[in-house]
Amino acid sequence: MLLVRDWMAREVVTVETGTTVAEALALCRKHGIRHLPVLEGGRLIGVISDRDLRSATPALGDPSRAEALERIRVGDEMTRDVATARPEDPVEDVAAAMYEGNIGCLPVVDGDGLVGIVTSSNLMRALAQLVGVHEPGSRLEVALPDRPGSLAEIAGIMRDAGVNVVSVLVTLGPDGAGQRIAVLRLATINPVRIVKDLGEAGYPVLWPPEMHPGEGGA
Amino acid sequence: MSGRAVFVHDAAMEEYGFGGEHPFNPMRLRMTIELCESLGLLKESQFVAPEPATDEDLRTVHYSSYVRRVRMAGRGEGDLEDLARYGLGTQDNPIFPDIHRACAHVVGGTFRAARLVMNGEVEHAMCISGGLHHAMRASASGFCIYNDAGVAIARLKEEHPGIKVAYVDTDVHHGDGVQWMFYDDPEVLTVSMHESGRYLFPGTGGIKEDGQREGHGYSVNLPLEPFTQDDSFIESFEAVVPEVLRAFGPDLILSQNGCDAHALDPLAHLSATMRIYEHVPRRVHELAHEICGGRWVATGGGGYDIWRVVPRAWTALWAALSHQEMPDEMPEDWLSKWGEESPVKLPPFTRDDADDYPPIKRAAEIEERNRRMVEDLLTKVLPLIR
Repeated sequence: MLLVRDWMAREVVTVETGTTVAEALALCRKHGIRHLPVLEGGRLIGVISDRDLRSATPALGDPSRAEALERIRVGDEMTRDVATARPEDPVEDVAAAMYEGNIGCLPVVDGDGLVGIVTSSNLMRALAQLVGVHEPGSRLEVALPDRPGSLAEIAGIMRDAGVNVVSVLVTLGPDGAGQRIAVLRLATINPVRIVKDLGEAGYPVLWPPEMHPGEGGA
Repeated sequence: MSGRAVFVHDAAMEEYGFGGEHPFNPMRLRMTIELCESLGLLKESQFVAPEPATDEDLRTVHYSSYVRRVRMAGRGEGDLEDLARYGLGTQDNPIFPDIHRACAHVVGGTFRAARLVMNGEVEHAMCISGGLHHAMRASASGFCIYNDAGVAIARLKEEHPGIKVAYVDTDVHHGDGVQWMFYDDPEVLTVSMHESGRYLFPGTGGIKEDGQREGHGYSVNLPLEPFTQDDSFIESFEAVVPEVLRAFGPDLILSQNGCDAHALDPLAHLSATMRIYEHVPRRVHELAHEICGGRWVATGGGGYDIWRVVPRAWTALWAALSHQEMPDEMPEDWLSKWGEESPVKLPPFTRDDADDYPPIKRAAEIEERNRRMVEDLLTKVLPLIR
């Protein structure tokens, strides 16, 4: 479910090394995209971004622009040594690779063939689905000690309350070791009892904070 | 501003509730009615008793397969796992005997109110049992089984082809069910003002949810920061609601008047007071007279501090709708009767004392964020409304 093949775009707009910059820019505009894989004989040999295309050509208004747009070929400006992903890669690995390499997209390659492309916006969509924003629910952030069984204990509190969990993510707390934060999305309009039970069991709810009239806090 | 106002209600509608410790408690209806009566604001002659909605009414917005399951659930039939897929029998929406009939009666109430107003038989009508805005086409959600406003609007559109209805929802939770039912319909403008879905159920209601296809621009959402107080709530309301209603030019306004944005409400995190529950109905009333010949239908909605908030808020709603002044003091007889049952001290006045709700520390930041949200909304959505 959280593999590249589940989230990549399958219809990929590609160019060839001989494509002109003018044609490539027109494709970006037409499809509302920023990255074009470059093929040669059906094989992926590079990627070119709209930013590469723009920086390769004189600015708007420059008299030499029109000529340059027609003269310069994608093959002259593309990035070779392209980082790629495979369809079976977990999305988190791809996210890490894109973040670390400071790149906006990864062509997805199966064997020798280009089968898709995964961009940061595909990953954003995966994140949104992962946290369950498309299903009605309430969101809680809960602090829990970093030890075996603590997640099971908070899950037990949901079970006892008879409330379904739409999604659960667990991450390290801001103070690092020793504490984790669980981000829960619960299928209920009424998390009041769960918030109380969690607090009493030693799992304080961090967000939303509790506030009483006149307290002036938060 | 004069003209006849009616209170659409029947004791049978007080059957819609989930019992026990469940926060949705129909006793709030009884308490509101008795408060209105005790203050001398409500007379026997102002009541109208509605019929339950028919299956044909319900099917204007709900799937037959869903209506069939609600009926089965109410008879104690059906497979629990199957029902749970329709949101029935969950912690939020427990099944109770005759659940279909009880909720169909609520729908019938809002529909009757809307019809009386649209047909010109009365000027304004209120049905405080209504406002079940989370109910979806094929599932129960957030204490709501059938969507009374959805059915009423769909039916009015059938009976009066070409009319435009504005739905204005100030419940603290996003009015998702009604919004999705009319998401591509340019004849129904939904406006929902609520606590942002960042933490709060149902999680939707961002400003980018602005309708689709022909309905693009006809869903308006004002997601407010948690802990928003009266001034910022009212400022946001005034900046958006009058303008979008004027731009849209509805034939009727249907308002959902959930009162769970109050600071005392246990289910949400806004910090409003009774001030907004006088301001909003008064302004919706004025706008109805300005824009659509006074045609205004008001429903209830959420509200889970049933002791200190709901009866006062909906009494204020009735006072506005029936052109009466709400007295300042709570009546002795009402206080002594309900005071005995209440686990909390009942407020002695119909209005809140501002000193009890001082500005919170982050008030300036919250106001600024709401202001930016409103600006963003007005720039992006207002030009789409015709």
